[in-house]
Amino acid sequence: MRTRIIAIVLALSCCRIAFAADFADPPKRIVSLSPSTTEILFAMGLGDRIAGVTNYCDYPQEAKQKPRIGGMSNPSLEAVLSLRPDIVVMTTDGNPKEFEERLVSLRINTYVFEARTIRDLPRGIRKLASALGVEERGEKLAKSIEKGIRKAAPPAAGVAARAAKEKVLFIVWPEPLLVAGPGTAIDDAVRLLGAENIASRASTAYPKYSIEEVIRQAPEVIIIGKGSGMDMVAVSKGLLNRLSSVPAIKNSNVCYVGDGLYRLGPRVAQGIEELAQCLK
Amino acid sequence: MSQMRIIILLAVVLMSIALSALLGPHIISPFGATDTDREILFSVRMPRVLIAFLMGMALGASGAVLQGILRNPLADPYILGISSGASLTAALAIIGGISFLGSFTIPVFAFTGALATGGIVGMMGWKRGGLWPERLLLAGVGLSFLFSALLMLMMSISTDEGLRRATLWIFGDLSMSEWSRIPYGLAFVVVGIALSATRAKALNALILGDEFAHSLGFAPRRERSILFVSVGLLTAASVSLGGMIGFIGLLMPHIMRFFIGSDSRLLIPASALGGGALLCIADLISRSALPPMELPAGVITAIIGAPYFLYLLRRKDVLSV
Amino acid sequence: MSSASKPAILDLEDVCFSYEKSRQFIHDLAFSVGEGSFIGLLGANGSGKSTILKLASGILKPSSGKIALWGKNLFDLNGRDRAKLISYLPQTLDISVPFTVQELVGMGLYPYDIPPAMSVADALDIAGLTDKAGARLTDLSGGERRRTFIAMTLVQGAGLLLLDEPLANLDIRYQIELIRLLKKLREAKALSVVMALHDINVALQFDKVMLIRDGNIIGSGRPDEVLSRDMLLRTFDVNVEIKRSGDSVYVSFENNF
Repeated sequence: MRTRIIAIVLALSCCRIAFAADFADPPKRIVSLSPSTTEILFAMGLGDRIAGVTNYCDYPQEAKQKPRIGGMSNPSLEAVLSLRPDIVVMTTDGNPKEFEERLVSLRINTYVFEARTIRDLPRGIRKLASALGVEERGEKLAKSIEKGIRKAAPPAAGVAARAAKEKVLFIVWPEPLLVAGPGTAIDDAVRLLGAENIASRASTAYPKYSIEEVIRQAPEVIIIGKGSGMDMVAVSKGLLNRLSSVPAIKNSNVCYVGDGLYRLGPRVAQGIEELAQCLK
Repeated sequence: MSQMRIIILLAVVLMSIALSALLGPHIISPFGATDTDREILFSVRMPRVLIAFLMGMALGASGAVLQGILRNPLADPYILGISSGASLTAALAIIGGISFLGSFTIPVFAFTGALATGGIVGMMGWKRGGLWPERLLLAGVGLSFLFSALLMLMMSISTDEGLRRATLWIFGDLSMSEWSRIPYGLAFVVVGIALSATRAKALNALILGDEFAHSLGFAPRRERSILFVSVGLLTAASVSLGGMIGFIGLLMPHIMRFFIGSDSRLLIPASALGGGALLCIADLISRSALPPMELPAGVITAIIGAPYFLYLLRRKDVLSV
Repeated sequence: MSSASKPAILDLEDVCFSYEKSRQFIHDLAFSVGEGSFIGLLGANGSGKSTILKLASGILKPSSGKIALWGKNLFDLNGRDRAKLISYLPQTLDISVPFTVQELVGMGLYPYDIPPAMSVADALDIAGLTDKAGARLTDLSGGERRRTFIAMTLVQGAGLLLLDEPLANLDIRYQIELIRLLKKLREAKALSVVMALHDINVALQFDKVMLIRDGNIIGSGRPDEVLSRDMLLRTFDVNVEIKRSGDSVYVSFENNF
């Protein structure tokens, strides 16, 4: 549970270029230190160049076959070194800065991915692609994501809905109640779609939320994200029972979505699309 | 004078319950309550306050009994690993999907875990015909590390839903409090406290030592076993109601010995009431401090409890072992 | 001698006991305590005085032999009935819980449903603790602690008191006070006392002294009969002698130093 939440939190956080090396040859052996960058690398068709991933990298399926280098907050230096990487791709919030410093001191190239919001994502992907010498592939992926976002959340939608913002709660885990708060791609997506995330005034990204506050804030739509391989309908039953007086439940506006928005990666557009369906 | 103090204690208890029901992220006025307020009051706050109170009672009373039967002012089910053992078996029941006893399944499993752990700690602490405080404490600390590690291990190698729920038992959590937990909580707490209260004289005698207890006509081992069963019931109740919350069992008996006296006949119920009130207040703080977020109640009890504990350590008349 | 004419209230016969299986500590122990006795068990540290008292009170179970209390088998009595007849006070009173004097003395009533003759207030009065009734045990001096527990046994109403080194760690004033109190009680209440001790000077105050060595009674009788140079050498492995001058009797350490 906790590890999954941490994984999500870390996966969603993104990037800043701390150090971009000039490469005579495009790097052949890439180690990815976060599930979101792993997904981006695979989406750019670099799967065969990935030498190692974290224990939490589970998408796409092929990622699970790659050698593991430990967690995001505690990757194993030895495991990374033994893979003889040409470059290690990391993220700002997900990986410890000290780890990057260790790698640099050992003359290992690092790249820090720094996009933090949906809007920054395409730019982040382009920069990463150019650092890896695959500008064209990056451009293609960035374009397709931009297109997807525009389609799911046309700029006009936000304007139209501004008059009466729908109140939304995105549940990451029901017992104890953990929800998507400020600074997450989910919060970002809800705003892009012209709705209001009732948890956006909490002070952490995935806060443990007060049930009575949910009742008081009366969300009109409740969205329940996918847990790793669990039947979320069954898991959330108890919680939804207790929230039975909330408008979202009275009007059956409860929606189960996938994990597209848990990671700021290629599946974000798909995640926004799903979210948009729920808010219709 | 002691009657006056009992009245004060009861008043504090009632006030804690009332305050924690009416205060929170928002204050609910009993006079101008809206429908939403009423809904929050009856289906969210009341079960939570009652469960916090029951759990605090279990923690306070079990600390008072355990400190007596082990003749050790530092004993409580948390420190001696009994809570961890109860959590482990409770988690096993959840993971195994065992539910043949209905809502009583988890507390019954927790009870067997508490008794088994208590037995192991007792055996390890027993040497040359007596219980050795430092051996007991070290055995308890060792076992609770082992049990926590086993729980962590099970979590790491499984992605099963039940297991994820079971991890709740590591971090105390009262946010899931529902009316459906009250029946077993009440049953275990009432039986546990009643059992220890009927043996309160024997507990007083055991505090003086086994030889005194024998001389006053009690069979020390038998009495200790009966009292330990009550600790097992109370620990099972607290673990099943809200997981592991520390410091209340350790501190409340000390506070009450000063406030109401050392006689176990009064000390057990007083520690129970005080523990209930303290956990209500700690939980109130945990859900009101940073709305709309919630903190774990165990963090608050530790923040309140640890400094008081350190203050107690400096008073020679409390811990003059 | 003085007690022999009265009926025995405690009678040990052929009692054997061992802490470890391999080594028997007490073999064929036999003695009896008559009503109104004031007996001192004198011996070196580790000689078995405490073990004998714990056997006599039923805390330790003998591996063989018989112990009778007022003619009944000690182990046939239930705990509460036994507690009304015999009371054992351990040597160490390391109690960290701050019970009050009144609470502790009141514990003497535990074996009873209907309170016996002596009230807590009476016992506090006899033990000179009336003004300390509300004091916490942890605030008392060593002497007051001892007297508190003596008062508890008075309330308990047992006819036989087994006291394990009650004078240890008490200064001379409290030692005298306690012996005087016990003697007074014996006169008033037909109480019998068996006390373990290691101070030869104190032993002189008793009606009867039993010398203990390696779990055996090596001598028994009136102090003036039994406390000879020879017997004390066998008990303590040192040369000391009882000297008399006029009314006072004392132990001479001679030139042992």
